[in-house]
Amino acid sequence: MSEPLLVLDNVAKNYGAIDALKGISFSIGKGEVVALLGDNGAGKSTLVKIIAGGLEPTSGRMLFEGKEFLAKSPAEAKAAGIETVYQDLSLCTNVDVVANFFMGREITKKFLGVPVLDEPAMEQVVEKALASAGTRIPSLRTNVEHLSGGQRQAIELNRFVHFGGKLVLLDEPFAALGVEQTRRGLDMIRQVASQGIGVVIITHIMQQAFQVADRIVVIRQGVVAGDVARNKTSPDAVINMITGETLAGAGPAG
Amino acid sequence: MNPRTRHALEFALDNLVWFMLVFVLVVFSIFIPNYFQLGIFANIVEASSVLGVMSIGLALVIITGHMDLSVESVAALSAMAVGILFCSAGIGLGVQLQPEWLMVPVSLLLALVVGGIIGSINGYLVVKVKMSAFIITLASYIWVRGLVLVISGGRSAQDLAPAIRWFGIQRLLGLPLTAWIAISCFVVFSLIMAKTPFGRHLVMIGGNETATFRAGIRVNRNLVVAFVLAGAIAGLAGWLLAIRTSGATANLGVGLLFNAFAAVVIGGVSLKGGVGTLPGVYAGVLLLSAINTAINLMGLPANFTQVIHGLLVLAAVLLDAFKQTIRQRLA
Repeated sequence: MSEPLLVLDNVAKNYGAIDALKGISFSIGKGEVVALLGDNGAGKSTLVKIIAGGLEPTSGRMLFEGKEFLAKSPAEAKAAGIETVYQDLSLCTNVDVVANFFMGREITKKFLGVPVLDEPAMEQVVEKALASAGTRIPSLRTNVEHLSGGQRQAIELNRFVHFGGKLVLLDEPFAALGVEQTRRGLDMIRQVASQGIGVVIITHIMQQAFQVADRIVVIRQGVVAGDVARNKTSPDAVINMITGETLAGAGPAG
Repeated sequence: MNPRTRHALEFALDNLVWFMLVFVLVVFSIFIPNYFQLGIFANIVEASSVLGVMSIGLALVIITGHMDLSVESVAALSAMAVGILFCSAGIGLGVQLQPEWLMVPVSLLLALVVGGIIGSINGYLVVKVKMSAFIITLASYIWVRGLVLVISGGRSAQDLAPAIRWFGIQRLLGLPLTAWIAISCFVVFSLIMAKTPFGRHLVMIGGNETATFRAGIRVNRNLVVAFVLAGAIAGLAGWLLAIRTSGATANLGVGLLFNAFAAVVIGGVSLKGGVGTLPGVYAGVLLLSAINTAINLMGLPANFTQVIHGLLVLAAVLLDAFKQTIRQRLA
């Protein structure tokens, strides 16, 4: 593994008496793809939200590029270079493709000192980004509400490829995609990782995890139940970790 | 359906209220004697300036997916503040500033600040205390009107300083300056909404607040700014109202809120947020004003206006639902 990009040290989150995360520790290297697996309710999405600044952990600490890190808002995480694609799509369906692509970081030019949206420049960028990813959307000026689930997800995926950053978190990014689009999405992930960007991908589909990940981390009942290199394990072994038949790796259960 | 008809249809749907306005003006001009005159049209624009300005602020907040019921009372409070300071009769203190024109910026600033303060209270409670904007601004609607009664003692101020009234008298191209102020407000805020990141963010917040928060947009700050703007714009509406009536009474502007609501909804702004443009709202305001003028010219009792406005709002909401179904077919 190369030098660690993000280190989680005993990160815990509880809602009242309910422990969503009991203490998660693992790390992600630069250019590494980590697949985060686990049953429903294991705490995967909670963990992603904590790293992305949507939730604050109850205890524990994180190191990002060797420095103590805690994002209090998604804006802070983004500023630090962490991009997130959420499970429930984060698009504004009432505006067009271009507006969604640039949400929160619009290209502007100054007019009499007032920042004005530079629509042609933004449209050009989106056109290029979508074309290079092979996504077909009839008009970039149609509102997203008129697009299919796959097209919507493609916008989000192309968004993180374009803006890059240092670490990308993907929470079930292929849920609405077809076979061909999923294959292309997995290619995109490898391509992003090859640029030295760390990738965490949450998925339910074992095959995807084995196709794309360097390392597989299994979370069960709020603790890390397994942390193994992909080429040193098998789907069956991982399934056992998920269901709890074998307890490999770190962390006491309960 | 080929792209061209689809394009045309979408254009028609987006600008439906303008077509309605033209249609109504044509019908009235044909069937109502004396309606088709430049003076009448100027009057329509002139009569809609206060309502128009107020509708801008209301529309801003509704587009973000919230609500501001307090705009009417805020306008009344600003008008009363200006009236008390710069009127010379009634409860007016008749404050004089030298040179006289200084009273214009001072009174305007006063109206804007009064409105902005109420707006920031609304915004703070909505964003920080996370209470429903409907309830908070309903409360403001009541207590701000109460405040108007308290500071005026139920009495009125008359004879606004001539330097300020000048805006209501001086005409440019047949319209008083107050009407030009309303028109320029529409132009400026339409540009802000359509062309700046701030406007774009407000629309997106109205569409999906969670998404904008995750995308790193400072949602809370934007919302507070929207409420402060709505308040300040209502303050400006109050200033115009004071000029128009040359003073202020305790019940000044009562009922304007419902007209502003009607104009915003007729103008194509969805109460769910995220949908609507300010030019549409202006068309809605002009439409209401055109109908009022028609009622006056026909000699119908003025009480009919309220019935007609109510029916219009109903029609607008029905139309909105109808537009949605057509759009879904188009998609």
